[in-house]
Amino acid sequence: MSAGAAALGALAEVGGPDVDLVRHAPVSIDGMQVGVTLRPRDGEALARAIRGLGERGLAAVPIGGGRHLELGNRPRRVDALLCTSRLARIEFEPAEGVCSAGAGARLGALRERVGREGWELPLDAPDDASVGGAIAAAAVGPRTQGFGPPRDVVLGLEVVLGSGERTRCGGRVVKNVTGYDLPKLYTGSQGALAVIESAWLRLRPRPACARALDLPARPRGDAIARAVAASRLPSARACALVGEAGGPLAGCVELAGAEASVLRDAAWLAREHGAKESGADALDALRAAQHATPAPHGMRFRIPVLPTAIEATLAALPPEARVLVYPGLRLCYANFALASPDDSGAERAFASAAAAARASAGSFRCESAPPAAKRGRDVFGPAAAGEIALARALKARFDPRGVLSPGRFAGDVG
Amino acid sequence: MSDLLAALRAAVGAERVLTRPEELFVYECDGLTLHTGSPRAVAFPRETHEVQALVRACRAHGVPFVPRGAGTGLSGGALAADGGVVIECSRMDRILSLDAEDRVAVVQPGVINAALSKAALPHGLFYAPDPSSQLACTIGGNVAENSGGPHTLKYGATSNHVLALELVLPDGELVELGSATGWSAGLDLVGAVVGSEGTLGIATAVTVRLSPLPEGVETLLAIFPDVVSACRAVGAIIGAGLVPAALEIVDRRTIAAVEASVYAAGLPLDAGAVLIVELDGAAVALPGELARVRELAAEAGASRVEVARDADERARFWRARKGAFGAMGRLAPDLYVHDAVVPRTRLAEVIAGVCAIGDRHGLTLSNVFHAGDGNLHPNISFDRRDPDELRRVLAAGAEILALCVEAGGVITGEHGIGAEKRDFMGLLFGDDDLDAMRRLRAAFDPQGCCNPGKLLPTPRFCAESNPRARGYDRVPFE
Repeated sequence: MSAGAAALGALAEVGGPDVDLVRHAPVSIDGMQVGVTLRPRDGEALARAIRGLGERGLAAVPIGGGRHLELGNRPRRVDALLCTSRLARIEFEPAEGVCSAGAGARLGALRERVGREGWELPLDAPDDASVGGAIAAAAVGPRTQGFGPPRDVVLGLEVVLGSGERTRCGGRVVKNVTGYDLPKLYTGSQGALAVIESAWLRLRPRPACARALDLPARPRGDAIARAVAASRLPSARACALVGEAGGPLAGCVELAGAEASVLRDAAWLAREHGAKESGADALDALRAAQHATPAPHGMRFRIPVLPTAIEATLAALPPEARVLVYPGLRLCYANFALASPDDSGAERAFASAAAAARASAGSFRCESAPPAAKRGRDVFGPAAAGEIALARALKARFDPRGVLSPGRFAGDVG
Repeated sequence: MSDLLAALRAAVGAERVLTRPEELFVYECDGLTLHTGSPRAVAFPRETHEVQALVRACRAHGVPFVPRGAGTGLSGGALAADGGVVIECSRMDRILSLDAEDRVAVVQPGVINAALSKAALPHGLFYAPDPSSQLACTIGGNVAENSGGPHTLKYGATSNHVLALELVLPDGELVELGSATGWSAGLDLVGAVVGSEGTLGIATAVTVRLSPLPEGVETLLAIFPDVVSACRAVGAIIGAGLVPAALEIVDRRTIAAVEASVYAAGLPLDAGAVLIVELDGAAVALPGELARVRELAAEAGASRVEVARDADERARFWRARKGAFGAMGRLAPDLYVHDAVVPRTRLAEVIAGVCAIGDRHGLTLSNVFHAGDGNLHPNISFDRRDPDELRRVLAAGAEILALCVEAGGVITGEHGIGAEKRDFMGLLFGDDDLDAMRRLRAAFDPQGCCNPGKLLPTPRFCAESNPRARGYDRVPFE
C-alpha cells in the first residue's frame, strides 16, 4: 500500500461516522496538494476528528470559507483539510446586541440575519468568508477602522484545542475579565493552536446614515496629509488611499453615524478636499482589492504603519508597487507584480517590504505569494526571539502533536 | 534567605527594599481587605533592568513574586504569597513619550491613570479607560486587570487601548510584544497578557492609544420610581441604536447613603433609582441624541429628566455615582464591592435577586452599576469584626455570583479574579477550559513563580514545582 493510500485509510477512521470524508480534486495549500476534506457534523465530531488525527500522526489545515488559505507559511505536512462548514448554527439576541454563530456560518448570512433587526456585524471580510475563518485570520477590511479589529468583536469562543479537548473561553456578555483572555490569543492565530467551533460576537447598531466619498488623486505627500485628516473626522469609519507607491494617490472615505454628523463631515470633505460622493459599493470594491491575489506571480505584503510614517514607508517601496493604505487603521498593503515566481524576484520583494517596515513600525508579513516564494521563508517577517519562543511554547502546549497546520504559523516555519 | 534580601538590595539599593514587619504591613492587602498575604520584602524598582534583576533574584531563590501598582485592585490580585516578594512599580512613574500626531504614548507602569490623561489634554487627547480609582491607580495595574470604568460602554476597557508591551518574563528575560500600530505579525500576545493579573510577567513599558477629546458632551440624569424601569430605559436606549459614553444606575439604597454624605448630589430621597446617561461625540449630533434619550427615559417611566447645564452640574450628577463608594464608608467599617456581569436584558430581575439575597442574609446591600454593560456592583457594608456577619457576607457573595452565572453572565467584569474569586471559576468553566488557561500560564511561567495563587482555582505554587522553594515560608524574618 502506498503512503498516500495508507494515509487515506487512516483518515477514513478519523472521527467515526459523524465526520464526513470527502475526496476531491487536489487543492493546493502553498504547493502542498490535498485531496481529502474532513467535515465534522458537530463540535463533538470536530474534537474526535482532531484527536483521531493526532493519534495517527496526521495533520490538517482548518478551513471555513477558504477565504484566507493563502495566509501563513508553507505547511510542513497536510493530510487533509478540516472543514467547519457544517457548524453553521446562528443564534441572535437582538435586544442584547450579541449573536452566536458556528464557525462555518458565512458572514453574508449572518449580516443579513442581524441586519433585519437593525444591527451590523462588525467583521469586515467578504460575505463568503466564514465566521471561524474571519476570526482565525483576524481579517480586516476598510471598515475595521470603525468596527474595531476582530479581537474587539469576539466576546467568547468555543474551540477544540490541537490536543483534542473541547473548551470554552470568554462569554456572551459585553464586558468580561473572568480568567485569561484566551479569545484574543485564538483570534488571529490561524488555527495553529485550536480550531474555532463557534463564537459569541458583539454587534453594532446599524448607523442611521452612511456616505462614501472619493478624494481626487493628488501627489503622495498631499494625499497622505488629507487622508489622515479625513480618517480623523468624528464620523469616519473607513478611509483608504490607493495608487502606486510613488504616487499620485486617490482616496476613499466612508462616513457613518448620526445624519447631522455625517452631512457636516461630508460637506467639509467636499469643501476642503474636493471630495465627490461615491457609490455605496466603493468600500466593498476596496476590500476586494485588498484581498485580491496579485497576478501573475504577485506578492502582497501587510505593513503596519503609523500615520507620520506613511510617507517614508511608501518612499521605501518600489515606486511601481501597488499600495492600499488605511491611515486610521495604521495598515499599508503593498502588491508586487513579479515577472516570474523565481526566487530572486521574491527575494527583492521581501527586501523591499523589510525596508518599508523599517521606515515604520518594523514588522511586516507576506499575505500572498507563489508557493516557490514561500519556500524556506517565514512570511511573518522578522520577529524578536522572545516572541518566537513564546509562540513555540504555546504551540507545544496547545497542539503538542502538531495536528493543526504544522509549520504554518509565525516562528514555526518548516 | 538573607541571600535573597542581599540580592534584592543589590538590584535596587538597600533604601528601596522594605523588610521590617511594620513596613510590610500595608502591603498585606489591596483594595479588597478580605484577603491578605504577608510578603517577605517589598522592592521598588525605577527601571526595567531593576525589575529584571529583582525577578532573577526571586527566581534564583525559588521565591514567588507579585507585581503591584497603587494597590487599588479589588480582587486581592496584588497580594504576595506568604513569604513572597512584592515588586512595587509605583516609582516607575515616567511618561516616556507622548506622540500627539500619532496619538500614542509610552509610559512606565507606575504612571497614574489620570496623570496620563492630564498630560494628553493640551493636545486635545485623553486616555480613555477610566476606572473609578483613576486618580490613584496605575497604568501597570490597569494592564494587569484589564480595567474598565463608566466609559467602557463606548470606549472599551484597557485591552482596547494597549498597543504594545515591554514585559519582563517570569524568568527575567525581556520581550517586546505588539507594536505602536497595534498590529503584530504573529500571535496577539499583548491581548493575552492584558488582564492576566500579573501572572505572565511584569509590564515595564506600556504603549497606549490616546483618543481625541469628544467635540461635545451632554450628561443627563433621569429619576425613576424603581430599578426595573431604569433598566427598561437602558434596554430601550441600547435597542434604539444609541451608544452613550456611559449608562450608570444608582439604586435607592445608594442614593440614601450618598445624600447623607459629603457627596450629596441633591437627588430625591424618594427616587427608586437614578440613571445617568452621558452622550459624547460630534456636537451637531448631540441635540438629536439627547432628545431621543429624554423620550426613551420618559417612555420607560422616568418621573424627571435633568440635563446638565454646565460642567459644575455634570460634576454634581457624577457625584451621585462616583461618590457612592466613599459614602458607603459612613454605613459600616468595611465595604465589599462586588463585581459581576449579566446580559443587559436580565439586569432588572438579577438586581431584584441580588437585593433579595442581601435581605435574606440580613445585610446592608446597595447597588451602583454600569448598566449599559450589564456590569453589576452590589456593595455590601459590614463589620468584619463580627464573624457571623463576615460569614453572611461571603455566603451572599457566593450566591450573587451563582445567580449571575445562572442568568448567562460572568463572575467579574472589571475587578478580576485574583485571590477573591479563583474558587468560583468552576461556576463558569469546566476542567478542560481551565486547563487551557493553565497551558497559557505555563507557556509564560513554567515554574509558577509569578503571582501564584491567583486567577486559577488550583494554584501551582513555586513550592510545589520547584524543590528549592520548599520550606521558604518557614524561614523567619531577619
